[in-house]
Amino acid sequence: VSARAPAMRAVAARAFGGGTLGLAIRTAIALAGAALVGGLAVRLAGQPPIETLRAIIDAAVGDSYALQSTLLTAVPITAAALGVAIAYRAGLFNLGGDGQIYMGALGAVLVALAGEGLPQAVLLPAVLLAGAAGGLVWGAVAGALRARLGLSELISTIMLNFIAFWIVSYLVRGPIEDPLGGGYPYTREIPAAAQLGSVGGTVPVGWVIVAGMALVLWLAMERTRAGRHVKDIGEAEPAARFAGIRVELYMFGLLALAGALAGLGGAAELSGNQLRLSDFFSPNWGFDAVAVALIGRGSPIGTLAAGFFFAALRSGVEGAQGTANVPVSVAQVVQGVAVLFLIIANADVVVRALRRIRLRRSAAEAV
Amino acid sequence: VSALVDIAGTAALYGAAVRLATPIFLASLGEVVAERAGLVNVGLEGMMLCGAFGGVAGSDLGGVGAGIVLGVLCGVLVAVLQSVSSITLGADQIVVGIALNITAIGVTSFLARTIWTDGNVPQVAHLNPVGVPLLDDIPFLGGVLFRQNPLVYAAGALAVAGWWVLTRTGWGLRVRACGEDPRSADSLGIPVIRLRWESMLICGALAGLGGVFLSLGELFTFSDAMSGGRGFIALAVVIVARWSPVRAVLGALLFGLCEAIAFRVQAEGVDVPYELMLALPYVVTLLVYAGVVGRTVPPAALGRNYVRR
Repeated sequence: VSARAPAMRAVAARAFGGGTLGLAIRTAIALAGAALVGGLAVRLAGQPPIETLRAIIDAAVGDSYALQSTLLTAVPITAAALGVAIAYRAGLFNLGGDGQIYMGALGAVLVALAGEGLPQAVLLPAVLLAGAAGGLVWGAVAGALRARLGLSELISTIMLNFIAFWIVSYLVRGPIEDPLGGGYPYTREIPAAAQLGSVGGTVPVGWVIVAGMALVLWLAMERTRAGRHVKDIGEAEPAARFAGIRVELYMFGLLALAGALAGLGGAAELSGNQLRLSDFFSPNWGFDAVAVALIGRGSPIGTLAAGFFFAALRSGVEGAQGTANVPVSVAQVVQGVAVLFLIIANADVVVRALRRIRLRRSAAEAV
Repeated sequence: VSALVDIAGTAALYGAAVRLATPIFLASLGEVVAERAGLVNVGLEGMMLCGAFGGVAGSDLGGVGAGIVLGVLCGVLVAVLQSVSSITLGADQIVVGIALNITAIGVTSFLARTIWTDGNVPQVAHLNPVGVPLLDDIPFLGGVLFRQNPLVYAAGALAVAGWWVLTRTGWGLRVRACGEDPRSADSLGIPVIRLRWESMLICGALAGLGGVFLSLGELFTFSDAMSGGRGFIALAVVIVARWSPVRAVLGALLFGLCEAIAFRVQAEGVDVPYELMLALPYVVTLLVYAGVVGRTVPPAALGRNYVRR
């Protein structure tokens, strides 16, 4: 014990200070706190926490079928979250994932239904591109409003969410409603040539695309000048402006790109999972995406990991319904609380207070 | 078109507009107080949602009065979390607000499914219209303004009170000082942190009351995410109203009117897609906001945390 004690103390001291390790430890503590809240919620719902957790893990990653449904859940959430993450690096809050997913899925379903009879090699890429284009348009509206007029994207993206939802709701109850749907508000099923399969029966192609996007975005953020500029804007906008970076152009471009990513996610969800567009297509994925991006701290790789983690949680809770009856919203609770705890753990005053404790302790040791 | 003109002439439309404007106004008033103190409160939506939930839970337990009290307390609870995180601990106000919105959706949905079996939230005792004697007999105007539920009248009184407190009292002056230049305010002996806490708690109470209005005054029950973006509309109203409680009444009325038109069109079966009409309040919010932005001057220290040195 005595031999390990100094090392342990060093780790504790790091947790109280700045640096990557401190950050990692504070993050772990915050996530553990969120898990604790989740356990309390499970108790509140009258279920035994440990058995429930086991059932959730089983249903999330227990076998290849479970893993597949986790990855399918991760596709739209992670795609939209990547968009939130890159915009966040420039200090922008894209709360419009939901509307962008709906517009993307709308673009995708229109192309898929119009292109019936085309070969897969033509139709499938067209469907995915149409999805990205639909989301891009919706993100670009928020981007233009922000860049040209200075409209807060916090408010405009929320308004655009509701506008997109009602447009889709109108279309799937009228012009593009399935004539054989018996009055249900959804479109016809897209043709087989427009459907995304999976790799080896387990890993959905949509997720592979999303993971590839994360990698590309990570490279762009870390290895290109544009990535450097985005981070400059996020860290000190006036300085970036003074240095000649075209801040407005970046803001417009980032929100448009964020929309395109979410739209692509919507298209991948449509052609890889739901196969029809309805007005219950997205169960508020836009907000899940924000939580995932914040937990991933705006890093594309971190976001990919956080997206997998929370998709596993959601898919696990859903899959465990038979054995452990816990409301699915418990996943949302844990997600929201995790964000909150992470912010608190990394808040100015907390970090500074912890650093003071550390300094006092090392001073005491010196004596 | 003639059907639309028919609707436009009825007292019922404008009465509904006043009613639908009330929750947005209450939240806006709270946000005006918070922003005047220098606090951006994106968590307004979550406060309204929790207020709506608390209203139904309280009303189910002990009637409308209990619902109002519990709903307001729920709004205040969210405000406490916002205050601890951002005012006391210095976390980014906007990120905290977003986190609280996400958490609020999850927690209310979870509790609704835990308290009521399978999430079958009952219809609860709710607010009923009460006519104001004599005034409700005035032709047209009586139907618009004086046959409303008691919270509408309370909101009217709160508008005047809010204006009075912010512009005519020492407390209001000190709050505004916190929003313009907290360091100078501090050097003059004004307790910035305490005043910001007070403003945020008032904001939580008012947004909670707005939420209660949504559930007990309009829907009579709770459904997931039922605040429907109204907290964000209220944020836009605050900007459009240039941080004035009285102008916030006008802003809220505009959005109330849009909602009222949408519902009327739906109810009367006018040959306009009602889904597109339901998008109207959000479209108008965007347009009006785009029309005024850049020509308004927010409190100078808005959104910036104050740390004492």
